[in-house]
Amino acid sequence: MRNLLNFLARYNNLIIFLILEGIAFYLLSTRNSYHNSRLVNGVRGITHGIEEKINNTKSYLSLHEINENLAAENVALRNLLAKLSRRESSLFFSIDDSSHKQQYLHSSAEVIENSINKQKNFFTLNKGESQGIKVNMAVISAYSVAGVIVGCSGNYSVAMSLLNPDFKLSARIKSNGYFGSLSWDGRDYRYAILSDIPQHVLVNVGDTIETTGYSAIFPEGAIVGTVSDYEKFGGDFYKITILLSTDFKKLHFVDVIGNMKKTEQLELEKLFR
Amino acid sequence: MINSILRFGLIFILLILMQVLLLNNIQFSGYINPYVYIMFILLLPIEIPSWLLLLLSFATGLIIDFFSGSPGMHTSATVLAGFVRPYILRIVSPKDGYESGSDPSMMIYGFRWFFLYALLMVLVHHTTLFYLEIFRFADFFRTILRVLLSTMFSMTFILLIEFYRRGK
Repeated sequence: MRNLLNFLARYNNLIIFLILEGIAFYLLSTRNSYHNSRLVNGVRGITHGIEEKINNTKSYLSLHEINENLAAENVALRNLLAKLSRRESSLFFSIDDSSHKQQYLHSSAEVIENSINKQKNFFTLNKGESQGIKVNMAVISAYSVAGVIVGCSGNYSVAMSLLNPDFKLSARIKSNGYFGSLSWDGRDYRYAILSDIPQHVLVNVGDTIETTGYSAIFPEGAIVGTVSDYEKFGGDFYKITILLSTDFKKLHFVDVIGNMKKTEQLELEKLFR
Repeated sequence: MINSILRFGLIFILLILMQVLLLNNIQFSGYINPYVYIMFILLLPIEIPSWLLLLLSFATGLIIDFFSGSPGMHTSATVLAGFVRPYILRIVSPKDGYESGSDPSMMIYGFRWFFLYALLMVLVHHTTLFYLEIFRFADFFRTILRVLLSTMFSMTFILLIEFYRRGK
């Protein structure tokens, strides 16, 4: 007993150190996986008041730029609407059925907290379950990919940014349709890597990269970026560097997109696996 | 006693606010993230009991973690920095030892001493932090570059603050 007490008295600093370090590592390990970002979400509840104030200041300072972007987007949408309404009128369908061909549900949200300088980046949106946001919905900023929702609380949700090595996206080259897997390598916030494109495929600098829609999260044809560089990697595949078209440093207003037919697609696919 | 608690409380709040409101929002490039809050651990009195030092490091790290949404990362790096502080103080100790009851400040022990002391502490803290963040050794040299560049910027801020304190 006396020896034990002596031991404790002698090494008490080391013991306190190990206990505190243990707690820290416990916290570290429980938040590290994709699905455990709920913890982050809970913790953010405490600090979001301050974050919201910071964000308010930031958004006030960039109002001019935001207005310009919104105006440009409005014009694009009006053009699209004009084209669509002409096409619609030539078809016959029941007027009662308002969702007869709507697959994707859009809702807009504002980014209130964002980072680009970590290795695993997340951003927070000011809408949550009460506004119909659910886990695994896609986040898009002006038609280009930004991230995917990984956790929701009542009025807030956390999205995993494309700038996160855990985020894998199925993407293809628009001109020839060959698809591969896109992910961020943790270096520069402007570039990501597209891999698994075989070497017989013709790749050019400047080619547009878009999403495939295979994952049932992102709608087909959302823009990811353009090819900025490519090199041969191993024996069979290219390693293609993509210049992302989303500027994550300026991410502010985003669209959250839910796929209404996702469950149907996944259930059907499950039958054959 | 009360006086020094108030003083360190004020330093603590100012450093945390500076980190959370200002430095966490500067996104200069992927390589440079200054973390100046570690200066609080640097400035605590030399004769502070180790257990208190460890608990204060833990609290500091935890608060920064809450604000940057990364539970555990800053906490473990700061606790390690708090743990090695007595050893670093012993390594860099001036020839005639430390005066009893003094703070480790530039005013008392001079620029060279403070620079070396701060550099070692910041290096320990930043190395742990960045390797925990990336959590693999695959990008070993790139992470070293991040550590060194960020250390340079953190040191600049810390020395500026310390010069300002001396000037007052």
